[in-house]
Amino acid sequence: MFSKILIANRGEIAVRIIRACRELGIKTVAVYSDADKNALHVQYADEAVHIGAASPRESYLNADVLIRAALSSQADAIHPGYGFLSENASFAAAVESANLTFIGPSADSIRAMGDKAEAKIRMKKAGVPTVPGAEGLESVSEFEKAADEIGYPILVKASAGGGGKGMRIVWEAANLPEEIQAARREALHAFGDDRLLIEKYIPDAHHIEFQIFGDKHGHIVHLFERECSVQRRHQKIIEETPSPLLTPELRTQMGESAVKAARAVNYFNAGTIEFIFDPASSTFYFLEMNTRLQVEHPITELTTGLDLVQWQIRIAAGEHFPYRQEQLTQRGHVIECRVYAEDPANGFLPSTGRLLQYIEPRGPGIRVDSGFRAGDEVTHFYDPLLAKLIVHAENRQTAIQKMRTALREFVVHGVVTNMDFMQAVLSHPDFANGKVSTRWVENTFDWKPTAAPSFESLVAAALADFTIVNRQSKIENRNEHDPYSPWKNPSGFRN
Amino acid sequence: MKLSFGCNSQSFLVDLSPAPSGKSHRVTLGDKTVEVEILRADTEQGKLELLIDGKRVLAYISSDSAKRWVTVNGQTFVLTKQAASRRSGSGHHPTAGELTAPMPGQIRAVNVSEGETVTKGQTLIILEAMKMEIRIQSPIDGRVSSISVKVGQTVEREQTLIMVERLTIGPVTFDI
Repeated sequence: MFSKILIANRGEIAVRIIRACRELGIKTVAVYSDADKNALHVQYADEAVHIGAASPRESYLNADVLIRAALSSQADAIHPGYGFLSENASFAAAVESANLTFIGPSADSIRAMGDKAEAKIRMKKAGVPTVPGAEGLESVSEFEKAADEIGYPILVKASAGGGGKGMRIVWEAANLPEEIQAARREALHAFGDDRLLIEKYIPDAHHIEFQIFGDKHGHIVHLFERECSVQRRHQKIIEETPSPLLTPELRTQMGESAVKAARAVNYFNAGTIEFIFDPASSTFYFLEMNTRLQVEHPITELTTGLDLVQWQIRIAAGEHFPYRQEQLTQRGHVIECRVYAEDPANGFLPSTGRLLQYIEPRGPGIRVDSGFRAGDEVTHFYDPLLAKLIVHAENRQTAIQKMRTALREFVVHGVVTNMDFMQAVLSHPDFANGKVSTRWVENTFDWKPTAAPSFESLVAAALADFTIVNRQSKIENRNEHDPYSPWKNPSGFRN
Repeated sequence: MKLSFGCNSQSFLVDLSPAPSGKSHRVTLGDKTVEVEILRADTEQGKLELLIDGKRVLAYISSDSAKRWVTVNGQTFVLTKQAASRRSGSGHHPTAGELTAPMPGQIRAVNVSEGETVTKGQTLIILEAMKMEIRIQSPIDGRVSSISVKVGQTVEREQTLIMVERLTIGPVTFDI
């Protein structure tokens, strides 16, 4: 087993990984950019290394600096988390060349699956169903020709991509050139690779993915599905498991396909096979494989009872994964809501600022994975994910009720969040009936923010000004010359 | 004591006075008057426990200059404290023809040059923030009168990016 692991990431996932290391008795090294020097993940680790400027390219995407940090702090492995360099095959290879262990699959598997175009070709060969599309295109005219053959609407995606970055739906031929340019720029900036692929866009599709897990001794199983169809701008916001759409037969079929897909690239460690599911015909197509831990991994952890991050580490250290497929089961129902610092009333534009108030909900069956605390700054440099709120209950209906209650108890001031929006999704009949497709938010859901503040909120604001804010500013004035005054703490009432 | 709060370009006037009983407040908002007792005020936590018209209410309030973030019953509102005499909110209004950054970010592309004629909906500038591209589009048919930013430049929220003027005579006002 490793004695020290460097976590090449930030935010909630870095905190999550550090926690798993602590539980396994492994020391941790956090890394941080200029913008993160006081971040929670830095405070939580045993050691921390500064790796550069706030811009990701100068810090969290700088492979050389990360490997040097691991070597100088005498770590013996690197966990990449998700995003950043987690699906970068060159990074995985460079980590191994430096005699460190990359906690994830082999560089070859990442290369094969991380490249969406190559992955599709391999999956076709392995007998896994795929969506009609075209890969390896270069000039705009080649894209135009291929798009005409497939038929509009088409989806433009980054070959190296994931998480909706560089992804575009094109409805008509006239818009293709501009969208290709935009997708290239986004892909280049997010992944350092501007290659694109296109495929047929299936309008009412659901996104259902399977968690797979393999060890370095050829044993691969799946840990069931995650239904991730509630999305905005191709980014998931609410995930749940089990999927309300799958029958036991479909689950078995899709699970077997997922294992087949992983086996085709000699996969080990945690991975996710994403399928497009067409509810009209109950058919499924391989979409892509994410060769890393997913943001939404907690929902699988809670239904299967396994700690995926601990198992990632143990498998990387060469241990056998001890469970056979027939020993694994799903228990109860789990929902995750991604709490983003973004404004749903304003095109989901990210919202930045200092967290003036931050209170997480607590209670039976409630888990919060977060990388922020009150007083922290949410900057424009990184993803606007504040926290993941996860609830576990007996069945889907009780899980929805638990989530709605927990969201009401989550208090965030200083940045606008999507919590009211998610609350409205959860209370919509389409969600209750499992009828939410990946385009539902965009096309069907007609959400408006509450127009006027409630009577109670105005009364509370008035009394707060009368009793707290005014009193506090007097105290602040009186203590102006005392830098250690408790009133200088970053509580909500500093003006 | 009168306090005024703005929210979504509406104004709300709250009138506070001591209630005859002495230990609570009388609060009037519109045509509604209630008695409110402060059961507990936790300054450090930004927390107020109130008895509004006999009903217990827990509120979290944060202040950031004139802004008030208020959470009651699981709903959060952002209010702007206004001078009580002012009847309507008057937030930041960009001057005519001025396009500003909707959020902090970095300029990825400037697609036009000064003096160029542009059409409504044309993408003038691409701003990148939090790994997303935000297109700054012309709201009118007109001409670019000035460009205030360069590619690669970091901009703050509401910083002026570009000015577009209508080709016909007379100033135009619009919000983005």
